[in-house]
Amino acid sequence: MKPSRKMEAQVVVIGGGIVGCASAYYLARRGIKVILLEKDIIGGQASGRNGGGVRQQCRDRRERPLAIASVKLWEHLSSELGVDIEYMQGGNIRLATNEERMEALRREGNEELEDGLNVEVWDRDELRRRAPYLGDVFIGAKYCATDGTANPILATRALAWAAQRYGAHIYTHAPAHTIHVTHGRVVAVGAQDGANEILIETPWVINAAGPWAPLLSQTIGVPVPVEPSRSVIAITQRHAPLFREFISSHDLGVYARQARAGQVHVGGTNIPARTFEQDVPATVIEHLARGIAQMVPALKNANFLRVWAGTLEMTPDKIPILGPVDQVQGYLLATGFSGHGFCLGPIAGKLLSELIADGAPSLSLHAFRLARFSSI
Amino acid sequence: MSEQVEIAIVGAGPGGLSAALVAARAGAHVLLIDHYRQVGGQYFRQPVLPVSLTTAQRQGAALRQQVLEAGVKIYTDTVVWGIFQDRVLGLYSPKGITYVQAQVIILATGAYDRPIAFPGWTLPGVMTAGAVQTLLKEQRLVPGQRFLLTGTGPLQLVLAAELVRAGAKVVAVLEANRFLARVLRYTDALWGQWGRLGEASRSWLTLQLQRVPYRMGWGIVSVEGARQVERATIAPLDAQGYPIAGREEKLECDTVALGYGFIPFNTLARLLGVQHVWRPELGGEVPIRDAHLQTTVSQVYAVGDCAGIGGARLAQLEGQVAGYAAAIHLGYRPTTDLAALNKAVEHERRFQKMYHALFTPPPGVYALSHDDTVICRCEEITQGEIRRAIASGAHTTNEVKLLTRAGMGNCQGRMCAHLIARWVAHETGRSLEQVGGLPPRPPLVPIPVADLGRTL
Repeated sequence: MKPSRKMEAQVVVIGGGIVGCASAYYLARRGIKVILLEKDIIGGQASGRNGGGVRQQCRDRRERPLAIASVKLWEHLSSELGVDIEYMQGGNIRLATNEERMEALRREGNEELEDGLNVEVWDRDELRRRAPYLGDVFIGAKYCATDGTANPILATRALAWAAQRYGAHIYTHAPAHTIHVTHGRVVAVGAQDGANEILIETPWVINAAGPWAPLLSQTIGVPVPVEPSRSVIAITQRHAPLFREFISSHDLGVYARQARAGQVHVGGTNIPARTFEQDVPATVIEHLARGIAQMVPALKNANFLRVWAGTLEMTPDKIPILGPVDQVQGYLLATGFSGHGFCLGPIAGKLLSELIADGAPSLSLHAFRLARFSSI
Repeated sequence: MSEQVEIAIVGAGPGGLSAALVAARAGAHVLLIDHYRQVGGQYFRQPVLPVSLTTAQRQGAALRQQVLEAGVKIYTDTVVWGIFQDRVLGLYSPKGITYVQAQVIILATGAYDRPIAFPGWTLPGVMTAGAVQTLLKEQRLVPGQRFLLTGTGPLQLVLAAELVRAGAKVVAVLEANRFLARVLRYTDALWGQWGRLGEASRSWLTLQLQRVPYRMGWGIVSVEGARQVERATIAPLDAQGYPIAGREEKLECDTVALGYGFIPFNTLARLLGVQHVWRPELGGEVPIRDAHLQTTVSQVYAVGDCAGIGGARLAQLEGQVAGYAAAIHLGYRPTTDLAALNKAVEHERRFQKMYHALFTPPPGVYALSHDDTVICRCEEITQGEIRRAIASGAHTTNEVKLLTRAGMGNCQGRMCAHLIARWVAHETGRSLEQVGGLPPRPPLVPIPVADLGRTL
């Protein structure tokens, strides 16, 4: 098919989630001509559907420096973007219901302190004192005061709006369908914009298409080992302020955040799906209801108003694939965030912008290279 | 685990009752579910105390008796809050959460009122006509003293007459459409509708005797009051339904009933993945159905107002068609004369067509609100906030919801989604079909966490 419109860009970003929008924002801010292609709407998938947690604690050690650096960015995003994205450092409480979990949290806490992340381990009494709203099933917790929450829908949109102010062009309802590669180098991206075909000549492509990233990647011989996984969030009616921390328990399989407007978001299920279906089984709704009732007993009489699902993309080792690949020059992957993309989105975008503009990122991406899977 | 039934019918109004009767008489094992305490739906709505019944209430009570005698199992006070894989319905009742698995589902969920927004519409005393009627029919409660009825269609006449008979004062009935000049084009559609014509003329007579003003081509502009409705501003409307400036009048009243038609309640069908089409003349988005009223999802049928506003009579006929088809599918041999039934359906559809040609609200009635008027009542989102979201790039109703929280509250957008959609269409130049609605999300009604977590 002959393209009806030809364009040029220095970078084409594929995917209008938080990683793609942050990439477009930090690139455009550096004066780089960037075009972002989104198949549907900005933040329409996992970036706008997640629980809104922004946390550094309880990370894979390889991922921890990125999370710490990302929070430094989050702290200034509202003022930088000119939109109140409801970011708040209300703290993060990771709860334990048994001694084994408590011991694991202690070990992790020591490692985090070594890595420069300030965390506190609370015993039962300290937990009662600091978070009296929690159910008595918990025997202790680990707490990180600089962790927090933000509004996922607003944060992703605000990055896109700011990118546009710096000159980025964002096409929504415009799926990219072809990456053109010549002599091992990216040269162009083909996409559909409504009824029109567009061809964008570019030396750089960032594939930030989340769970959809492998589909396009395999067409240029770069298989990406991520699997879709369904995650579900339930939301209560507005409730008077109960807690400001992001609270989670692996033992119960539940996490929760109270948004500024008062509604409580409840998540914590992960259904390995291998499909992009997003229906919510009744058993999952019941699980979240039981979990939150145990976790925050005051919410027993609150109503669930709605549930929805989002699709995460999981890598075999649950940390992202971020940076260049050996097979194709100019092709950058930013996918496989395994449920950590909301917090890591800003730093991922910033590091890729540095890679393109400066030739090297300010933090090493070595641990996140695609090639780590080739030896498996 | 799940209770097993052959046919689950959601909604026990005229359509659901009729479907249940046909299928059960043919031998099928039928469960009829309704969220009210008594079957009947809005048309046959039964009073709490069964004394001095209206004609419709007597008919409804008789139909209920027949349905019970045919062996239909009835769950009242039971909401279907979700439909899951393999046609499992999630139920919520005073007993708690239970599940039913059905081989066939017949949706007969009816419709809800389509409110319009104008300055003051959130004041206590502004109600939908359907709400006033429910209070009258079920509770025998007259929710005010001085009523203003504004909207379109003969149901306004009927409601006004009911209010007058119940002892209320009706200060005026405002009809947005100047329909009289056009009604003669539809004599074939009216032929045989003696029951309806009789009810309309009886209502008309009642209003004439009480000297209730009936003003054709008029509509509401705004209402005022310190803590509740005290007076309304009304005006004659131009051909597009916009109030004509400079000709406003004030009316003292304490209750305003809005009768601007109905929106098909299609949420369960959409949750099931049924394909819909945009048919404004039928009230909005309606499911695609075959000749047996089966939707695009196998063994899921939709009948009555939830598949396109058509009234109680059409719902009963459609219910019989779907009940027949469902029974055949399950291997039973119903005795219904399908040819005669289809002929009656055709006749009713002519009336349906006439009704919508004469009584579709004109576009001007949706243009009364101002930028400071609250559109989403649950989340208190104004028209101005909605327009700003559209200006910042929201191209669909759902995107406006994401950016503003409009439609995220207790009613899940039943009051405001159609109003938001009109703004998105207006500001982006796209059609109502393109801007779409809000995706259905279970639970379809708010349910306490404690109940959801304690499955029976």
